[in-house]
Amino acid sequence: MLIRNTSDRYGLLAILLHWTIAVLIIGMLCLGLYMTDLPVSPLKLKLYGLHKAFGVLVLMLALIRIMWSLSNMTPQLSSYLPTWQKLAARSVHFAFYIFMLLMPITGWLMSSAAGFPVSFFGLFTLPDLIAHNEKLRVIFAEIHEFSAFALIAAIVAHVGATVQHYVIYKENVIKRMWP
Amino acid sequence: MKIIGWGIGIFLTFLVSVTSEAAAPQWQIVPSKSTLSFTATQNNAPVTGEFKTFTGEISFDPTQLTTSKVRIVVDMTSVSASYSDLTSTLITADWFNVKSFPEAVFIANKFTKLSDNNYRANGNLTIRDKTVPVTLQFKLAEYSDTKTHVIGTTQLKRLDFGVGQGEWKSTSEIKDEVQVNFDINTTRK
Repeated sequence: MLIRNTSDRYGLLAILLHWTIAVLIIGMLCLGLYMTDLPVSPLKLKLYGLHKAFGVLVLMLALIRIMWSLSNMTPQLSSYLPTWQKLAARSVHFAFYIFMLLMPITGWLMSSAAGFPVSFFGLFTLPDLIAHNEKLRVIFAEIHEFSAFALIAAIVAHVGATVQHYVIYKENVIKRMWP
Repeated sequence: MKIIGWGIGIFLTFLVSVTSEAAAPQWQIVPSKSTLSFTATQNNAPVTGEFKTFTGEISFDPTQLTTSKVRIVVDMTSVSASYSDLTSTLITADWFNVKSFPEAVFIANKFTKLSDNNYRANGNLTIRDKTVPVTLQFKLAEYSDTKTHVIGTTQLKRLDFGVGQGEWKSTSEIKDEVQVNFDINTTRK
């Protein structure tokens, strides 16, 4: 198993980053949807703290992943795919990179605007990106929430596509993303 | 006559010493140039709020610390934080319970000079229904015949005052220690 990508499959580091971030993102979406509806309580506060810390972790991993992706070749999509499906696949992949940056950064911005700075598991505290501002907090919260639902849609499309490959083209594309 | 003269002399000396003893000047807080804020720690990160309204009876003279006295009354309903949900939580019964305890009072009755412009005040602070001895440090940034500027700080433990009831007594999400900062400008009364 190569660390770097080849023209027909992903390398070890890309695979590790893909699945680690996938698990984190799905966990974060579930946590985010659950915690926001809780009444104000120590549990809610604790979950928000964890959500923020894991969000920073996702951001750091996303930055590593983007740099790795740029310095590696991207394996080709199955050649039999119609052009529009190739385009759709690449667009969704690109969208994931946007979400991996947009979600943590809007979260960081809303925390700054709320006056609740982000601590990375108690190890260090992130500086506020903007000053306290209730209006901006609401705006960033809405972008964060809207992006979360768009991200869920992208995940459904991404997973749906692997199922489609398996069912229609009889190809298990997950192999390319598995060590 | 000599004895009467001595008598008057002693009386005057006594009078002067009594009046000067009681003569620590009185100061009026300038609300627009004074702040009282606090910083707590939630999820290991600082979160800050302030009290917009507070009044005080201040008699202070750095050369007459023994007769100096300070009484500050904080309007707890004036609590304000950057995040509206935080403000609305702080006024509830579990926290400041401003309906039952609309005021917090700090009375300082012992002042000690630490160094050049730095002083320590010992007193009692009442928040909710708990009165606890509190020590604060302050710097006399300005002291003239007409105005003073004081910058100071103290650290409190919120649970000493019952701030955070029930499940909020847990200090894993919100720490017990709370930093209080004040920056007060006064004019001579």
